[in-house]
Amino acid sequence: MRIDSTHKPWLWISSTILAVALLLYVFFRTPRALGSQGGTPLGLGFGIAGFTFMIFAGLLGARKKVPVWRVGRAQTWMRGHLWLGLLALPLILFHGGFHLGGALTSALMVLLIVVVASGIFGAVLQHYLPTVMTRELPLETIYEQIDSVRAQLLAEADERVAAIESAAPLAEFYSRRLRPYLENPSAREQPLAGADQAQAAFAQLRTLVPPELHETLGDLENICEEERQLTRQVQLHHWLHAWLLLHVPLSLALLLLGAAHAIMALRY
Amino acid sequence: MIELSIDGRKVSVPAGTTVFDAARINGIAIPTLCHQQNETPVGVCRVCVVDVGARVFTASCVRPVEPGMNVSTDSDRVRAARRTLVELLMSDHPSPCARQQHSGGCELETLAKLSGVTKPRFAPRGSSRGQDDSSLAIAVALDACILCDRCIRGCDDIRGNFVLGRMGKGAQTRIAFDNDKPMGDSSCVSCGECMVSCPTGALTNKFVVSTALPAAPGSEPVAPEELLALPLFKNISGTFLELNQRAVLKRHFRRGEVICREGEYGSTAFYILEGKARVSLSSPIAYVKTQGGARGFFSKLTSALAGRSADRREEEGNQRSIPIDAPVDLAYDNPVAELGPGDMFGEMTCMNFYPRSATVRAETDCTMLEMLRNVLDILQRNKTFRAQMDETYRRRALDSHLRNVPLFAKLNPEFLDHLRERVELVRFAPGQTICRQNDPADSFYLVRLGFVKVSENYPGGELVLAYLSRGDYFGEIGLLGGGPRIATCTALDHVEVVRICGEDFAEMIAQFPEVRSGLEQVAQERQEANRQRMSLVRSVPLEYFLAQGLMEAQSLLVLDLEKCTRCDNCVRACADAHDGVTRLVREGLRFDKYLVATSCRQCRDPLCMVGCPVGSIRRRNSLEVIIEDWCIGCGLCAQNCPYGNINLHPFTVQAEDPGAPGRQVATVRQKATSCDLCTEHAEPSCVYACPHDAAHRVDPRKYFAPLLGTGTGAAKS
Repeated sequence: MRIDSTHKPWLWISSTILAVALLLYVFFRTPRALGSQGGTPLGLGFGIAGFTFMIFAGLLGARKKVPVWRVGRAQTWMRGHLWLGLLALPLILFHGGFHLGGALTSALMVLLIVVVASGIFGAVLQHYLPTVMTRELPLETIYEQIDSVRAQLLAEADERVAAIESAAPLAEFYSRRLRPYLENPSAREQPLAGADQAQAAFAQLRTLVPPELHETLGDLENICEEERQLTRQVQLHHWLHAWLLLHVPLSLALLLLGAAHAIMALRY
Repeated sequence: MIELSIDGRKVSVPAGTTVFDAARINGIAIPTLCHQQNETPVGVCRVCVVDVGARVFTASCVRPVEPGMNVSTDSDRVRAARRTLVELLMSDHPSPCARQQHSGGCELETLAKLSGVTKPRFAPRGSSRGQDDSSLAIAVALDACILCDRCIRGCDDIRGNFVLGRMGKGAQTRIAFDNDKPMGDSSCVSCGECMVSCPTGALTNKFVVSTALPAAPGSEPVAPEELLALPLFKNISGTFLELNQRAVLKRHFRRGEVICREGEYGSTAFYILEGKARVSLSSPIAYVKTQGGARGFFSKLTSALAGRSADRREEEGNQRSIPIDAPVDLAYDNPVAELGPGDMFGEMTCMNFYPRSATVRAETDCTMLEMLRNVLDILQRNKTFRAQMDETYRRRALDSHLRNVPLFAKLNPEFLDHLRERVELVRFAPGQTICRQNDPADSFYLVRLGFVKVSENYPGGELVLAYLSRGDYFGEIGLLGGGPRIATCTALDHVEVVRICGEDFAEMIAQFPEVRSGLEQVAQERQEANRQRMSLVRSVPLEYFLAQGLMEAQSLLVLDLEKCTRCDNCVRACADAHDGVTRLVREGLRFDKYLVATSCRQCRDPLCMVGCPVGSIRRRNSLEVIIEDWCIGCGLCAQNCPYGNINLHPFTVQAEDPGAPGRQVATVRQKATSCDLCTEHAEPSCVYACPHDAAHRVDPRKYFAPLLGTGTGAAKS
């Protein structure tokens, strides 16, 4: 989600909560010598608030599974996820008094830090990458359709070249350089994968073929450019969504371990 | 009797006989092109020149004999003069012309061959005189015309139709239909007399591909003589029927047999000769309703079929009958009707290739004529047939047609009887103007068949204000205000309108004040809507905005691409809200940083409405597109939508078994759906489900105002 001026209310609310929590922690924290911070009423309060925020943040995934339920706009949930999820970290730190504690709590703390860090990383990516995609990929298509679009491009290029009766340089260029690139665009050392190299290659080829073939050459260059954009789209799409592979499972683990910690701490 | 000598032979003929006829009677052939025995001679081609000993040669077809005249028809000088004339004509004639190619029957080319003219010495005309392909039956090739006037005399003197004449002067002279209209748009009745009269390939029968109907079981060809014996074909050209024999078949249907099914595409019309047929709709009378979300907090949305009686939508129409492609309308409550001998159905399908509007089944053993478009076109131009169809319409459909218009529902039977005798059924060809902006308003029109485009001209072009279909009316604003027409109405396809002249209209509104007040209210609303649209057109200068059709949209689903993470939650939400059938595709054209998603735009120029065979897609007063419950699922609206925003939603319903009439079986039927804006909710599901604040349903003119420099709005570059 893009972090813009529409987030101001959430920024103010989160800042206020953080400031209040910080003041409470500074003035009412339990000295270290008197025992752990987490077991005190204030510490418990921080723990409950922090874990509640974590649960709320975790519920975003569930909310997305039921898009038509009228349980609040998805963007409101997302804003809550971002700001309250972020707020969970200082609250849990206040809850633990900036100490890791035992093995479980240490693991929880590490998990929380990783989850929050990956979330911030994801938020930064989602803030910038859509703009990059919009700017760099005017021919962007639906991600799931990329394979079929590639197949169409290859077929179209084959058709264009097959329609040419005699043009040895173009046929050779196509069979040795362009077609291998269209068949396997992600392979290493594809000279046409770079925009500048491709432009130079096509410019050179233009001097070798008769003018009546320049239109065909233009079509092939466009196909090459579209293929390059598809490759770039795949890369950006992976960047945009791959961090979730870390963020989501760790969040689930955090919630499960957090629940176990809460039960154990309250019961024993 | 007058005595004269022709080529040395003494002959005697009655006074007043032409030299041409005198020679013919005595077995002396004089070649000619412009003259036919059944037409008044005019002597324009001069090919029949003879030497009568005068200062110049004379055209024998117009020169009366004189006592003692010494005529030479075949001297060297006469032959040379005739040869030069033929050569001049041939220099301006495409050889071989269409007639020569088809039958070798071009009289000019035959004459040229006999005269030994192979390659004219004279230069041909530099530019083509053009051709007219607008008639379904006759091809006009002006390049092959030798201006012999045989067609004009055939049309005027023999048939008395007075459609053909000459237009232009000197080298620009040509034959023309009415006041130089394309033949297909003219008042030509396609009798074929001009085509039969033409000596060259200027007017020929169209040998259109697939003018033959495929032989089907229970079908038999019909001889032209048999057709001409039917009242339906009275005054139709026998030559035309001869040339189009296989375009009409006699079909026999057994009781219960399906003649045509609703939603199927076809290209023929049927005329019932014997027996009865039942017309019905097998699609459920129900619209696709999204339901569930409003009932409970967590309840899921589903799509279901709901009828007007079960769940009346806001601004639901109160139409009491469903228009179909037959001389009767179907009652909304019981959509079944009976057709009998003399009835014709399938005209719209045949003329405009629209899907069949209803299912027709033989009620008894039936015999019908099934005909192709070229034959139906000839029939529709025929005065006898038109009188017959007019009579059927006035008798059976005018009442329901008028009463279907809510404003006219209160007209009393006496006035309807009065109108019945006075209204006029007028037919228009595709593209023909019915009334023009700024012309004096003299009539009120009700659309009986086809689609009418209402548009207004402005300095930058033309703005489409509305598309009108069967049951709609126009022309009231000019009549009520007493001023000129405020818009141009054009036939989009083959259109038939009921014309009520200004006097009858004035009488009607004087006699029924409620009709007047209703019409005035509608006129006021239409004028206001038109004013708003025109002001928008003038205020939006960006060509790109216009090129994408965004100007025409009332509500766009736009995705801010700088916020959208391409997670597709919007698409999933739409599919979840509509039983897995999404009405949104996250692809489309870009405008600035916005993606205009593929989802109904509620266009101001709703092309989707054009062609609906049962008129079930319309606009609410809010201009929102709504699909009525009698949609037959033919899919034409989905095809017509230029943005691919209409989908077909399959439902399993109980419907009559085609193989066993009367038995109900589970059948999959389709209903057209477009984005309904999830009207059950305050916000469309796609927008509601977007976690990134990227999806918005917007009025493009307001939203994009900052980008267009026309005001303040939400969009920022």
